[in-house]
Amino acid sequence: MATDAMAHSDPSGRTARRSRFWRPQVIVPLVGVVIGILLIIGPFLATLIRSVLVWGEEGAAVSAANFTSLLSDPHFYQAIGNTLICSTGAMVLSCLLGFSLAWVVSRTDMPGRGWFEIANLIPFFLSPYVGAIAWTYLCAPNSGLIQNFFSDTFGISLAFLDIYSLGGAIWVLTLFYTPYVYLFVIAPLRRMDAALEDAARVHGASFGYTMRHIVIPLVMPAILSGALIVFVTSAGLFDIPLALLSPRGIRTMPTEIYSAVQYPADFGRAAAFGVLAMIVTVIFTLMQRRYLGRRNYDIVSGKGYRPRVIQLRPAGRVAALTLEIVYIGSGVVLPIIALLMVSFSSIWTGRFNSNFLTMENYNYVLFGYDLTQRAIVNSIQLALVGATVGVVLAVLQGYFLNRGPARWRAWIDAALSLPLGIPGIILGLGFLILAIRTPLYSTLAIVLIAYVARFFPFATRTVSSMFLAINPELEQSARSSGASWGQTMRLVLLPLLKPSLVAAWLMLFVIFIRELGATILLYAQGTETISVALVLLSERSFGYVAALAVIQLCLLLGAFVVFRLSRASLAQS
Amino acid sequence: MEPPVSPSPSHFVRIEGLKKRFGDFVALNGVSFDVDDGSTLALLGPSGCGKTTMLRCIAGLETAEEGYIEIGGKVVFDSSSRVNLMPEQRELGIVFQSYAVWPHMTVAENVGFPLKVRRTPKAEIRERVTRILKLVGLGDWYDRPATQLSGGQQQRVALARALVHEPRLVLFDEALSNLDAQLREQMRMELKILQDRLNFTAIYVTHDQAEAFALAEHVVVMNRGHIETVGLPRDVFHRPQTPFVARFLGLNVHSGTVLSVGRVPDVANHEPLDADDVYAQVRLPDGETLWGRIGQDSPPRPGDDVLVCLRREHLGLSAPSVSGGIATQALAGRNGFIGTIRASSFLGLTEEYVIDVSGGELRAIQPVSGLDAGDPVAVTVRPCDCIILSEHRTLKATQRADLKKAG
Ligand SMILES: Nc1ncnc2c1ncn2[C@@H]1O[C@H](COP(=O)(O)OP(=O)(O)OP(=O)(O)O)[C@@H](O)[C@H]1O
Ligand SMILES: [Mg+2]
Repeated sequence: MATDAMAHSDPSGRTARRSRFWRPQVIVPLVGVVIGILLIIGPFLATLIRSVLVWGEEGAAVSAANFTSLLSDPHFYQAIGNTLICSTGAMVLSCLLGFSLAWVVSRTDMPGRGWFEIANLIPFFLSPYVGAIAWTYLCAPNSGLIQNFFSDTFGISLAFLDIYSLGGAIWVLTLFYTPYVYLFVIAPLRRMDAALEDAARVHGASFGYTMRHIVIPLVMPAILSGALIVFVTSAGLFDIPLALLSPRGIRTMPTEIYSAVQYPADFGRAAAFGVLAMIVTVIFTLMQRRYLGRRNYDIVSGKGYRPRVIQLRPAGRVAALTLEIVYIGSGVVLPIIALLMVSFSSIWTGRFNSNFLTMENYNYVLFGYDLTQRAIVNSIQLALVGATVGVVLAVLQGYFLNRGPARWRAWIDAALSLPLGIPGIILGLGFLILAIRTPLYSTLAIVLIAYVARFFPFATRTVSSMFLAINPELEQSARSSGASWGQTMRLVLLPLLKPSLVAAWLMLFVIFIRELGATILLYAQGTETISVALVLLSERSFGYVAALAVIQLCLLLGAFVVFRLSRASLAQS
Repeated sequence: MEPPVSPSPSHFVRIEGLKKRFGDFVALNGVSFDVDDGSTLALLGPSGCGKTTMLRCIAGLETAEEGYIEIGGKVVFDSSSRVNLMPEQRELGIVFQSYAVWPHMTVAENVGFPLKVRRTPKAEIRERVTRILKLVGLGDWYDRPATQLSGGQQQRVALARALVHEPRLVLFDEALSNLDAQLREQMRMELKILQDRLNFTAIYVTHDQAEAFALAEHVVVMNRGHIETVGLPRDVFHRPQTPFVARFLGLNVHSGTVLSVGRVPDVANHEPLDADDVYAQVRLPDGETLWGRIGQDSPPRPGDDVLVCLRREHLGLSAPSVSGGIATQALAGRNGFIGTIRASSFLGLTEEYVIDVSGGELRAIQPVSGLDAGDPVAVTVRPCDCIILSEHRTLKATQRADLKKAG
């Protein structure tokens, strides 16, 4: 401070300097960045500190006891092992399925590919928890719709199918995470210079050889990006293990953290678990950044031809169509049919029976039960406010990362992307530790803060990638025509950014409507959300759960429809 | 479909009646031509005329609806007997305009690819790749990742890859168009040398006429999916056969009416005549007359509408001696007419003029001559440089005549 005053002893120089710093275009975006960083650091530090504290007779003490007891607990290794099996399985299957679907849709003449191209994205918008519940209706051992259908019509017993298993969890995870890989892969597949493939064919490579040695290696960076996201996200996902594995006592990382904070709560153990998971996630994310930094080559040439569409032979057509039908059927159509059937039945026995047809479930959920009514209102409030706050933060951060001072950009970008892989339940734990003795505890506000903290990086990425495409000269020319910074933002930049703002807002809306992992730790009486209400109801009645799930589904599909109509794009960066 | 011409052993590639459409759009409309063994054929034409489509049909990357393609005595495509070999069965090399160098491989892996898919032993691949890389001047780049190469170097890698397995036919699709002028010149020379050394047949697609004339033994000019002209570079250049070719080569094209036809033009500035040539006197729209050489086989009759084609460099400009006087006096009996300079632009050693003449404008290139906009000018041209074509000649006749000439 003193040296600063000396260096600028001229008072007018100092005011000039200060006024430069206090210009709105510096301060306003900086506020967004600071809020973002506080939102990340707060729960992270809280978890870290809590993990090394142990409460004894004479108060808190710093100790590694939480870690040592966790690391000597065989349940810990069981949970880690099961989580690894689930997320590895889901990753491998999603990559196979995501690549195949993307290739079939973008590079062949499969009938209806324009339609499937959109349909393949629908699972992206649905709730994994509801999906898992729907699959329990479809495929519960001995009473699932699928087993009953096969034994009733063909006399085939599918008794070995059991959705309450690691295999079942992998299956449902795969259905929901395939669109991630699909989205990553379809862009390069579509834009790839066809000459890269053609050159291989002309120089003697067969179709299969070209696929293995040229096409797949060229989109490998995209496949691996998708794979990493699927791996990290499905390892941290609480919803599906809760619905499919907890009933059989199969432990996983997120459900272990959840049970650690149930009565009798052991926050130390949960925090230690969380810290280990965070470290692994951060290492993975950094590894991916380095790998992509090295291999991100350009496969789009200036003047290439459109990639050739491959004319499928009849067998190929049948195979491609089957693949699509199985995917859309399992990921969208069958779960929705099952939910509808259950939600309109007064008694559910694993078969649809028109004698039991009723509206009572909807009536009860919508008008008869204060918990579900409250949950619906809360969810919609959280989603509307949360998405708006998230998009505002994203614009400010996007501005800072693309137009702000260049010096810290890379670091701030890395810091702001950290929550991308951190499981919701761990961030929820961090906010729970932070808020538990404050008035924020058991308010909707803390849930909202956790939502924004966990998911704003998605919005920031979407908006930031749009910033990249906007030439700064557009703003500069507005400034030189006399517009203030605020006017330039309002009249030039925001209209240009609008498609990405719509996309980001809808994405956050969808995520918040269905969020469970963070909410399950932070909700209290009065602040339940739809997803929480589904969990609470699941012990009482199939019908109520299904009806509420259908209501949530309508909100999500509504967002999907708006998304399609607005022609916003899911920008990948 | 039976090929109409009996196969000649010197034709390495034979293409007959190739038709290809994209939806309703006809991209190739019955294209036929031959390429001699060991020679280079240039496919020349404006953007969108179907050159790339032609090449892709030959390579098997596109399937024509009709036609016949034979490479080195092997039928690779025949719509009548439903023969259609896959690209990898046609034993070609290809160089794309976008290079199509695979970014996930090293230079050596790129170049060795055609050998690797043919299961060549490792040691031999290494040896041949090293040899061809030396040949294209990339000897030191063997193990470098392909992404580190500059445009010109990628071009060479693509070239080496197309040649390493010693295909008998190599296809080039605007292979040099992304290079700067100097590098392009150099690569052209190197291509010639490589072709002499490796003795492959080449089909070379370009829209740059200078490149086509410099590289090729024969030139095919395409227009909207059909062939306008086939011939030796000199013939195509000096004796454009159709108005389209004339326009494509940048000639001034004006309409006129034939007054008389004769062996000897009745003007002062004609050169010693070629015994085969026939001349015609043509009346331009405003009444001026001009002698020119008839460029096609069947001469037009007096009264026919024709087109007069004038190369910019062949026009002589001079200030008329009597300003505002009678045209013939100003021209002093030479073949030409009077016009007015509208604009000029400086090109260095020369200057290009835009001249208003009756019925249109004319471009002429001259050594800097100090004429200004608004000046009247006498435009003269030797009758043998003034080419007279009729618009409605059937293309079949031209093609056949030229095929004979070229073969
Ligand atoms: N896959 C396709 N689908 C539809 N139309 C096509 C396709 N490929 C080419 N065409 C059309 O066929 C015509 C010929 O295309 P082609 O690429 O052969 O032209 P070209 O002579 O190579 O032009 P250029 O010099 O610009 O490369 C063009 O009008 C083009 O629009
Ligand atoms: Mg082309």
